[in-house]
Amino acid sequence: MADPPAIETQRLTRVFESRKGFLFTEKTRTEALRGIDLTVEQGAIFGLLGPNGAGKTTLTKILSTLLLPTSGSAHVLGYDVTTQVEHLRPRIGLVLGGERGLYNRINARENLRYFADLYGVPRGEREHRIDAVLDRVGLSDAADRRVEEYSRGMKQKLHIARGILHGPELLFLDEPTIGLDPKSARETRKLIRSLVSDGVTIFLTTHYMFEAEELCHRIAVLTKGRIAAHDTVAGLRQLVGGDRTIEIEDYGFDDDELAALRALSGVSKVVTEEFGARIRATIRIHAQRPTTEDIRALLSNHATLALRERRTSLEDVYLDLVEEEAN
Amino acid sequence: MATPQGYGWSRGRSTLASIRLCVLQFVADPQWLIPSMIAPVIFGLVAFGLFANSGPNFLVYAILGAGMMSMWGQTLYGSGWATGQDRVWGTLEPTLQAPTPYLYVVLGRVLWNVVSGLIGGLIVYVVVVTVNGAAPTLPNPAEFALLFVFVMLTLASVGTLLAAVYVYTRFAGFIQNIGEFAFYVGTGCMFPVVLLPFWTNPIALLFPPTWALDALRYNGIPGYVGFSWGFGWDLVGAIATTAVYLGISTSVFRRVERQVLEKGSLGDY
Repeated sequence: MADPPAIETQRLTRVFESRKGFLFTEKTRTEALRGIDLTVEQGAIFGLLGPNGAGKTTLTKILSTLLLPTSGSAHVLGYDVTTQVEHLRPRIGLVLGGERGLYNRINARENLRYFADLYGVPRGEREHRIDAVLDRVGLSDAADRRVEEYSRGMKQKLHIARGILHGPELLFLDEPTIGLDPKSARETRKLIRSLVSDGVTIFLTTHYMFEAEELCHRIAVLTKGRIAAHDTVAGLRQLVGGDRTIEIEDYGFDDDELAALRALSGVSKVVTEEFGARIRATIRIHAQRPTTEDIRALLSNHATLALRERRTSLEDVYLDLVEEEAN
Repeated sequence: MATPQGYGWSRGRSTLASIRLCVLQFVADPQWLIPSMIAPVIFGLVAFGLFANSGPNFLVYAILGAGMMSMWGQTLYGSGWATGQDRVWGTLEPTLQAPTPYLYVVLGRVLWNVVSGLIGGLIVYVVVVTVNGAAPTLPNPAEFALLFVFVMLTLASVGTLLAAVYVYTRFAGFIQNIGEFAFYVGTGCMFPVVLLPFWTNPIALLFPPTWALDALRYNGIPGYVGFSWGFGWDLVGAIATTAVYLGISTSVFRRVERQVLEKGSLGDY
C-alpha cells in the first residue's frame, strides 16, 4: 500500500473567540484559518510562508496536535489529528523555538532525558540517542551546562535536538532560524537538509524568503488564513508572471510609456511604486524578450534611466501574492 | 535515523521522569531552600512559642500545627504551582505534545511534593523536640506516622485538582492566592476546625485534609475533642473524599486537556 501523504487537510478552519472586560464583556471572533486544503508528500521540505498573523503558527499547532480545528479535517501521516493523537504524537516532532520552552535551571542532557522518557525512547537506547542528537546539533561540548547559560542559538539547537530525539517521521519547525546569527542559521539549515536525507519530512514556517527558496521543495503562501498559492519555487515564479524581472527607475513615467511596456510581448505585469523622488517600475517577464536593451530603446528619451535585470525572487513572488490577497 | 516504531511511553516511567525532574530542579534552584528547609525551622519555633504551656499535649499540637503549616504549601500548592511554572517557562506545550498524558507528569510532581512535604514535617519535629528537650509521647507512633503520610496524600489529591486548573487557565495562580488563607484555616491546618464558626464546617468537610487532620489529632492527642463522629468516621470521610478528588482529577484532566486544545490557550502565560 502506498504511503499516505505526510499532511492532508480539507476545508480546515480555525476560529478564535475571546472576551474582553469583566461586567460588560465584549466578544471578539478571529478567523485564523479559512478553509485550508493542503497536501504535503512525505520525504520533502515543505515551506509555509505568510505575513504575521496569516495563520502559520495556528496551522502548525493544529497539525502537531496542540490545537483543535473548528471545522474541516486534517490527517498527518495518515492519522486524524483530533481523534488519533496517541498514534500520531510519537511519530512527529515539534520545534517552536525561542527563549522559552526549556527547563533553564538544568542542563541540556537532563532536559533531553526527561523528554526521552515522556516519548518512551527505550531505556537502553536513551543515552546513546541523547549523545547522538547533541552531537548532531553541535552541543556535545555544552551538554552538561545549564540551559540558562546558553545563547539564543544554542537554545534553538537544543529545541531541535529535543524535536528529533525520538526519531520522528515528520518534523514541524516554526521559524527555526529567527534571531540566530548568520553562522548558526546556516548550521541550522544544513541540519535541516541532513534530516531530509535521513527520510524525515520537514514542515517549515519562515519569514526568510531566501531560506525557503534554498531549502523547500514546495511552498505554500498563507495570507489571511487562506492558501494564496502552493507550488514549487519555479511554479510560483510563473504564477506571478515569470522568472525574469527588470526594474527601471527614473523621475517619472507617463501613462503612455507604462501602457507601451505592458503591451510588449513577453511582459506579464508592470507594477510601479514611489521610491523617494523617483518612480520604480518592476516588470515581470515570462519569455526571453524583451531584454534590457529593448526596454532602454523604448524609453530612449529618459536620460536618467536606471535599469537592471535580475531573476524573480521568491520575495517578489511572496510580495505579489500578499499584495494581491490584500487587494 | 531510527523511527519511533515500537517506542511506547509507560505510566511508571513518565511518573518517575517527572519526579526526577522535580528533584533536579529542587537541587538546582536555591529558592527552594526557603520553603523546604528554612521555613519549617521558623514555623516550628513560632508554633512552640504559641502552644507552650497550653496543656499537657501542647507539644503534639505544636508539631502538627507547624508541620502542617510547612507541608500544606509544599504539597498542596506545589503540585499546582509547578504546572503554572510550565506555562511561564513555555514547557507546557512541548510536554503536552509528548505522547504521555499530562496527568502522569502531574502525578510525579505530586509524589515528589509529598516527599518534600514530609521532609519539612520532619524538620519541624526535630526543631520542636530540640527546643522542648524531649519528644512527645504518642499513644500509637506507627499509626500516627501512617496517618501523617495519609494526610499528605489528601493534600496532594487537592493539589492534583488544582494542577488541572493551572492547565486550563493562566489565572489559576490568582484563584490559588485568593483561596490560600481560607483553605489553610478552613481545613484545620493550624487549629482544629471545630474551633471555627459552625457555618464553616460544612464547607471545610468538602476538603479531604479536614477529615484526615481531625483523624490525625484523634490518634495523636489523648482526650482530643474534634468532630463528634470520632476517629473512625474521620478516616472513612478522608478516604472517600480523597478518592472523589482523585477521580474528579482524572476526569477533569482529560476534559481540561481537550478544552485547552479547543481554546488554544496553552501558550498563554
